[in-house]
Amino acid sequence: MAIIEAVGLRKVFRSIERQPGLRGAVAALFSRTFVEKVAVDGVSFSLDPGELVGYIGPNGAGKSTTIKMLTGILVPTAGQLRVAGIVPYQNRMANATNIGVVFGQRSQLYWDLPLRESFELLRSIYDVPRARYLENMKHFAEILDLERFLGTPVRQLSLGERMRGDFAAAMLHDPKIVFLDEPTIGLDVIAKEAIREFIAAVNKERGTTVILTTHDLADVERLSRRIVLIDEGVVIYDGSLERLREEYGTHRTLVVTLAESYPDVAVAGAEVEGRDHNTVRLRFNRRELTAEALIRRVTERYQIVDVQIVEPAIDDIVRRIYLEGYHEGVVGAPS
Amino acid sequence: MDRLRVMGNVYKQYWRINILTTLEYRENFLIWFAFTFIYHGSAIAALWIVLNRFPSMNGWTFRDMAFLYGMWMLAHALHNTFFSTVGDIPEHVRDGEFDRLLVRPLDTLFQAIATPGQVFPDELILALFTFCAATWYCGVVVDATFLIFVPLIVVGGALIDLAFNLFISTVAFWFVRVDALRWIVIQLEQEFTRYPISIYSRGVRLLLTFVVPFAFMNYFPARFFLHKAHEGAMLPAPVGLLTPAIGLLAVALAYVFWRIGLNRYSGVGN
Amino acid sequence: MTAARAPRFRLEPYVQFAKKAMAREATYRFDVFTTVASVLVRVYLLRMVWVALYARNTAPKELPLHAIITYSTVALLMGLVMDIDQTRLLHDKLHSGGIATDFMKPIVVPFYLFADGSGEVIFHAALIVPSLLLALLFVHIDVPGPLTLVTFFASFALGYLVGLFVNFILNCVAFWTLEIHAMQLIVTWITDLFGGEIIPLVIFPAFLQKIAFALPFAAMFSTPLLIYVGAIPPERYAWALGVQAFWVVVLALASTVIWRAGAKRVIVQGG
Repeated sequence: MAIIEAVGLRKVFRSIERQPGLRGAVAALFSRTFVEKVAVDGVSFSLDPGELVGYIGPNGAGKSTTIKMLTGILVPTAGQLRVAGIVPYQNRMANATNIGVVFGQRSQLYWDLPLRESFELLRSIYDVPRARYLENMKHFAEILDLERFLGTPVRQLSLGERMRGDFAAAMLHDPKIVFLDEPTIGLDVIAKEAIREFIAAVNKERGTTVILTTHDLADVERLSRRIVLIDEGVVIYDGSLERLREEYGTHRTLVVTLAESYPDVAVAGAEVEGRDHNTVRLRFNRRELTAEALIRRVTERYQIVDVQIVEPAIDDIVRRIYLEGYHEGVVGAPS
Repeated sequence: MDRLRVMGNVYKQYWRINILTTLEYRENFLIWFAFTFIYHGSAIAALWIVLNRFPSMNGWTFRDMAFLYGMWMLAHALHNTFFSTVGDIPEHVRDGEFDRLLVRPLDTLFQAIATPGQVFPDELILALFTFCAATWYCGVVVDATFLIFVPLIVVGGALIDLAFNLFISTVAFWFVRVDALRWIVIQLEQEFTRYPISIYSRGVRLLLTFVVPFAFMNYFPARFFLHKAHEGAMLPAPVGLLTPAIGLLAVALAYVFWRIGLNRYSGVGN
Repeated sequence: MTAARAPRFRLEPYVQFAKKAMAREATYRFDVFTTVASVLVRVYLLRMVWVALYARNTAPKELPLHAIITYSTVALLMGLVMDIDQTRLLHDKLHSGGIATDFMKPIVVPFYLFADGSGEVIFHAALIVPSLLLALLFVHIDVPGPLTLVTFFASFALGYLVGLFVNFILNCVAFWTLEIHAMQLIVTWITDLFGGEIIPLVIFPAFLQKIAFALPFAAMFSTPLLIYVGAIPPERYAWALGVQAFWVVVLALASTVIWRAGAKRVIVQGG
């Protein structure tokens, strides 16, 4: 039985068409012409309890709009939605008891006071029984190593420490589902790893369903097996990361710094993507040509000083999927 | 009910954090208290200086004006102590913090009111002293009517203040920047209530009585208790006892508007 | 900073700073609206207050009703310019630490600070004209003779300089304690009251008048305004302007001393 069931979710934003300048602002007060923006256009997916899903897509794709509907902030224009058996926008408060949210860029902790004061306040907001609260605090203190800075004012914590505090804060009331929005943003490598471990632990040990929104593909690679990829309000991929890379991450880029500024650079099997003085970007299909072979071909014709291989970014993959996969409908099947 | 118990708990925690935060920034608190003292002090000093030279303003003496100011100050301080957080809502809508409230299992307005910060009832205590001193100084009769109605009037005045605070914050759901609107209303509330409204032109008097009823915060009650009903005024003296009702009505209307604003924010009907 | 030759003083960079600051101010449309609107609201309010007060009490002979209404209105218009903290940038920079890099640039730092704030001042000064025109819709103000008018403007300029140095000294306190906002507000309220912006000093009871006239704040508002409404007669113009000039010099010296002490602190501590 799915814990999150979304069918045909649609969200349209209507705003009054407004011309620039002061005259436009006044005219807008009397205007009847609306501009419609379709942020989410028929998104469907379902999640089983205990799943850990990466929800990714370029900026403006409709990710945060979907999350806002799931968390009860926004009312959908159309479609059906059930989260842990509740329709979020009809039962905002009941839904709120079942979910936890971590906004990577904004903390819910109280800046001026020791960390534990924030937890006390949240305990009262979520009405967590004392015994359960102490149990959870003990557990989180262990796996997140919070003990040593529970008494430190939040404003004095490092970003990594504050993020760990935010995680504990989000999990305090044993939510069934946790939404993580850019949880590792700005963190150093060690801190990122600590957060990822915590997310994995919470998912495995407590069976908490996790929806992870991130631009850092390494987060997804480390944590989730399933990816839901959204672009322009539509789900264009719902499946595993490996298959995504395999099928659509075919092209890599070889960035070569040449010894001199050759007038015409051309290499068989590769496409010149861009050129900047001595640096040439060569795009090639790794199924047709290995990087090693390409480098050999380049050195046969030119003298090179430096070489770098750039993997396809998620934006590139999305663009490719959009160009090639979208016209055939939704790519991939839910796992 | 269970929800009330939870809200009571949260409210207790809210005040706990307010006081802890104030203590954390002690020096900062002291200097802002000094400012509050100077602000009100210089207002009263200005009134005294002027009325020392011009003893009667439409029949109101300095003693009357002290009572007028004290009553306004008490209602206003009561509002600031418990409801000033409502004024922060537009900023939270702007920076996304408001969404945080929607994701928690409590009423959003209650959460907005119970958002911890550096709040302390210092101005309220000062206002209480000032009002008591002014009451004694102006020689008003402190009878049963006074003792029963004045607390209600002060609460009513705070509610009128809250109603407009909430109204302006709700406007932020449509027009993100509400500073200009807030500034105009603040000026009407703080500066025009220092004097008996009988000195203003008819239009302004109507405005302060029926549209933005700040005259009910202090003028009408003061007029009643100080027996100043003889100024060819439009309304009879006992109107001054209506303040609690006006406060409740204003807040009710503002709350309705707030719910409309919330619906808009959530995109209901879109 | 070592230099083979001291650089010649160049005005141009400071003009650039001022221009940028003006453009910044012009983008804040709401602020313009609220600034002008609040002046007009206060003009109306004070007019009604004085009319009511003069109706039942004996008027002071040196300030008949029309004179005191003129006084209040002109005071509020002056406030558009006087209320600006021209050297606010200093405090901002001390807060952010940016002041340290400024000491390394080939500019005279105090002038740079003044220039930055002057854009805002000029912009607000330009607002005086529309505010005045709108105010004339519901109040009448006296227009004095040419000699008085010219003296008024000279006095206004001197009064502005007094305020400038007061603000500068306050901002310098930020070299030692960063949280000066509340203190500035306290000083502002006191100077407005004792400077005669809200109430003409001649209305004050005798003992308070003595105190007020002994303070530099009277030089900011009271002197130019009393000149304007004729409460200071032409024979006393030189004396009045002289007192203002005295305060300008005293405060300028005090500013230099405090600035040097503060700057030394920054350079020694490395920002």
